[in-house]
Amino acid sequence: MSVRLRLVLLGLALLALAPAVIHVALALPGFGTPTSPYGQTVNVLLPDLRHVTNMVAAVNFDVRGIDTLGEECMLLCAVTGATVLLRGARGEGEREKAGHVPGRPVTPRADATVLACRIAASLTLLVGISVALHGMTTPGGGFQGGVIAASSLLLLYLGEGYAVWRSLVRGPVLALLEGGGALLYGLAAFVPLTLGRPALQNILPFGTLKDLYSGGLMIVVNAAVALSVTGSFGLLLLEFMEETRVPSDESVPDEEGR
Amino acid sequence: MSGLVASLLVLSALSGLLVVLTRDPRRQVYALAGNGLVLGLLFLALQAPDVALSEIAVGTAVTPFLFLAALAAIAMDRAGR
Repeated sequence: MSVRLRLVLLGLALLALAPAVIHVALALPGFGTPTSPYGQTVNVLLPDLRHVTNMVAAVNFDVRGIDTLGEECMLLCAVTGATVLLRGARGEGEREKAGHVPGRPVTPRADATVLACRIAASLTLLVGISVALHGMTTPGGGFQGGVIAASSLLLLYLGEGYAVWRSLVRGPVLALLEGGGALLYGLAAFVPLTLGRPALQNILPFGTLKDLYSGGLMIVVNAAVALSVTGSFGLLLLEFMEETRVPSDESVPDEEGR
Repeated sequence: MSGLVASLLVLSALSGLLVVLTRDPRRQVYALAGNGLVLGLLFLALQAPDVALSEIAVGTAVTPFLFLAALAAIAMDRAGR
């Protein structure tokens, strides 16, 4: 497509869409003024209905819990797909040499880096667990906690190097976390059905407001999401890290793709 | 709108522009990480700490790492041929 044709297309698109965009933009509520009736209703009703103070978690894990179950399945499928694609040619063994791009210097780690990473990785993991555990009371929750916990794995790699990292971070354990979390969520949706209630109905006692135990079934769902997200992101990091190894000759697929 | 939010908005626009204008993929990854950090701070200033946590972990740590690993694998592949 020539530049002139592109400009003509841009002009036509602007002519058609710009009035609509301007119309919608002028009708938006002012910056920083929450007016959504749904949000206001949730803020008023849910502390009494579910005994939780984190409304985002309450919407995600209870009011719209079925939507989150769908997202959970999407995450599971996406990570499984990426893992299946990347598994094979490179880095399946634990002690394979790091690949090297010619002309790029290899600098050894300083002791200070190792120490700083050990401290930062443990603190990050603790923050992740804490954010996940306090999902019902303070901002955060399973997804955030899980992602923070998984990013502590990156710091662990930065400090310890590949070989030690691989011996600490086990693929099957991460896969178990991922699948186990998804299964736990599925069970949380299914068990109420067996009692003749709607799926994901909050059948556990709600607990006390602002307590670590508050929200009933939401705690189980929150834990399921935390486990699954930690496993998913950890598995993704592991598979991508394996791609930086030197391919071993035997495992490279031949012409027939075997 | 407070001065903090306004300056963070300007900063996020600038760092986003930097990502687009950077041509070398490896530098672009770091620009992207910087943009993620600015967005995380913006979400924090807009009182959405949970979104800020995910943005910083995903946008500043995990996504740049995945890009870097992919770029390293591509560079090694090219060097091997």
